Amino acid sequence: MISSDIIRGHIDTIVLKLLMERDMYGYELAGEIKTRTTNKFEIKEATLYSVLQRLESKELISSYTGEKTHGGQRRYYQITPLGKAYYREMIAEWQVLNDIMTAIMGSDIR
Amino acid sequence: MNKIKKFVSNILKDYFNEQDKRELIEMLTRSLEEKVEDLVEQGTPVEKAIDISIQEFGSTADVLDAFPGKSTEFRQNAMRKRRSQFVFSLFGYGVIVGLALLINFWFRDFFGGFLWFGIIAIGMLFWPGTMYFLYRIVKK
Repeated sequence: MISSDIIRGHIDTIVLKLLMERDMYGYELAGEIKTRTTNKFEIKEATLYSVLQRLESKELISSYTGEKTHGGQRRYYQITPLGKAYYREMIAEWQVLNDIMTAIMGSDIR
Repeated sequence: MNKIKKFVSNILKDYFNEQDKRELIEMLTRSLEEKVEDLVEQGTPVEKAIDISIQEFGSTADVLDAFPGKSTEFRQNAMRKRRSQFVFSLFGYGVIVGLALLINFWFRDFFGGFLWFGIIAIGMLFWPGTMYFLYRIVKK
């Protein structure tokens, strides 16, 4: 499992990306991250829910109460236009970082 | 579900200002309750679902991880607060034990020479002791 220190700076980007695909509630997001990374990265829910609260206070995401398909009500999160713009910035930064690492590490990294 | 709110409140007790703390407690509690509901829907008994959710949730450090650049500030604020409480408890302890000592010796004959202030001095040690323990927890 990957060290949370390495990926910590990218949690915002991960959350925004998933919310760009569809609205989700907190525990659903945690499950989605776990599934997509095939358990290589398991974010602590304490961190994930706090990130959601922080992103919402920055107006990068917003929340609403919705009905779960088979169950009670859940607090769903959706990305805002500001969040989408921020996500695009993060992707651009990531590409620069990727280019730098590839230039230095060369064939050592895939 | 009170167990969840109590757990979350306890995790955050030394951190954040009152308004941020209230919002965060509300948000974390709601998310944990949703997880409990999901687990119950999948067939887990309620009490077990609550225990699982609490165990898997994470710690204060995991909450602080969500605030990069600010976690050090939060920790320093919490340490400062606990240190002040410890210093105040030492001062309070000194005043109370000093008063007891004074009264004990002033009315020594009345108490038949019994040095009861020692009992107070030992008994009151729980106050700075507890404060020091709480300070050490935050410092870690």
